[in-house]
Amino acid sequence: MLQYAAIAMLMLGLYGLLTQRNIIKIIVSINILEIGLNLFIVSVGYVEGGIAPILTSDFNNNGLVFVDPLPSALVLTAIVIGVGTTALGLALAKNIYQKYGTFEIDEMGEE
Amino acid sequence: MSAILLIAVPLLAAFISILFKKYAHYILVFVSFASVFALEYMDLGTITVGGFNAPFGIVLILDDYSLIALYIVNTLFFLVAILNCNEFKKVGSIMLVALAGLNGLLLTGDLFNLFVFLEVAGIAAYLITTTNKKPLATFNYLIQGTVGSSLYLLGLILLYAMFGTLNMADMASSIASSGYGAGVTAFPFLLMFIGFGVEAKLLPFNSWTKGILANSNRLTGPMIASVYAAAIGFVFGRLLTNVFVIEDTFLIIVTIILIFSVVAGEAMAYASTKVREILLYSSVAQAALVVVVFMSGFTGWAVYLIIGNAAAKLVLFLITNTATKQLGNDDVETFKGLFVNNKIIGLSFTAVTLSVIGLPMFLGFVTKMNILENMFVSGDYIWPAIILITSVVEGIYFIRLLLNLWYKENDLPEVKFEFVLKYVVVIIALLIMVFGVYTEPVQESADDLVAYSYIEGGNL
Repeated sequence: MLQYAAIAMLMLGLYGLLTQRNIIKIIVSINILEIGLNLFIVSVGYVEGGIAPILTSDFNNNGLVFVDPLPSALVLTAIVIGVGTTALGLALAKNIYQKYGTFEIDEMGEE
Repeated sequence: MSAILLIAVPLLAAFISILFKKYAHYILVFVSFASVFALEYMDLGTITVGGFNAPFGIVLILDDYSLIALYIVNTLFFLVAILNCNEFKKVGSIMLVALAGLNGLLLTGDLFNLFVFLEVAGIAAYLITTTNKKPLATFNYLIQGTVGSSLYLLGLILLYAMFGTLNMADMASSIASSGYGAGVTAFPFLLMFIGFGVEAKLLPFNSWTKGILANSNRLTGPMIASVYAAAIGFVFGRLLTNVFVIEDTFLIIVTIILIFSVVAGEAMAYASTKVREILLYSSVAQAALVVVVFMSGFTGWAVYLIIGNAAAKLVLFLITNTATKQLGNDDVETFKGLFVNNKIIGLSFTAVTLSVIGLPMFLGFVTKMNILENMFVSGDYIWPAIILITSVVEGIYFIRLLLNLWYKENDLPEVKFEFVLKYVVVIIALLIMVFGVYTEPVQESADDLVAYSYIEGGNL
């Protein structure tokens, strides 16, 4: 179920990217897309009834059902990269605003 | 010496250069020279990162293929760095990150690690292109690059969910042994193909290229059109030959994308009246051609196509952007008669252009000739036809450009090229000519690379 929600969110982000003409809204859309993607990655590792894959004194044998920890690790990296791109995008947005005095791409008079 | 130093040292130097901002450009030149030099002492083999063995941990693969790729990319990077280090002091640290990212891209044998390095190199590229002073174009590049790599990641995760591995070689063997048809893996591969297509400038996904390269300066033009294009080409080649299963529907979709890229790229170059636009659309067509040759399985010749093209685009963009800066714009009209007073630069430009077209006596001819020959032998007639027709178009617009640049009676444009640039340009042009005539080493090494099925990576 979570997977469908994640895909829907991804598509929502893509829709936003294609329809919005405002720099800030585009950055928001790309964040929605990335969050949807991250949710999808986490959902791939989910196992019904699984527990966190941490060895403790209560859970110390291999017979238990663990969720796959690798997607979570991947998501961690993907989130960091996403934050980096967003920061860069916002910095560029500031430059664009200084140059054109607007966030609307249509009002900038460039292709 | 371990190949991991090629990634670690530039990254460390990038951090150090932030502390010593005034010397960042010296650090850049030193580190980029050192990494070319250090390649001589690298041992071939697989490097296991963090002590986890092949399918579980990240591996870096240094084989003949990635060694050639590293030599080319690092040498071109060094040339770009040394020619621009004084003019663009601010981007010294970012260039070091870019170097780390590109070396990582070429070395890695892990699909997720590839995504990370793609983003590292990508973010560095966005920052480098801010020196164009066109923030909107850079923003466009950022958004398209991010969407592209997100699609790559989505495809990658689908593959992980299906086969439970991220290692390239392990992935390839799992796919082969799973017995699934090509239809099952077509969708994730298509997503990954699109993701790389954005960076490799394939046509429907490359609308950022015009904004970036048509406004490029002496740093960004050669950097994006030559260094990055070469690196992405090599990585794409590794994926296409080692991981992707290209059959059935996927093959048709990819073929249509590539035909469209080659034909439309050349057509748009033909229609352009600005020098930089001609060059950038020609590199779109060339990038697609590289993918075609990799797909057809002629790895060695694809490598030479990348080398010839990257060297050519370095020379062409360096000369064009130096002249554009002094003349104010890059209309062919303004450039008319540029080479009358700059004969040496003009001759190098001509040699390189003729090599891109594929005329005899130049490296481009040897490459194109062998690609066509191999394609005919393997019974493929569609691609040779397309390549030949587009070569004619290419010949027309490039020779038209050359005639414009060489002939004008009076009122010649005044452009000064500095000594180092002349030196670099002449040497590259000479190398292209030498290997165009003395073809034996090219022929042999390319045939070797064809025969050499390069990675059983990760399991070496």
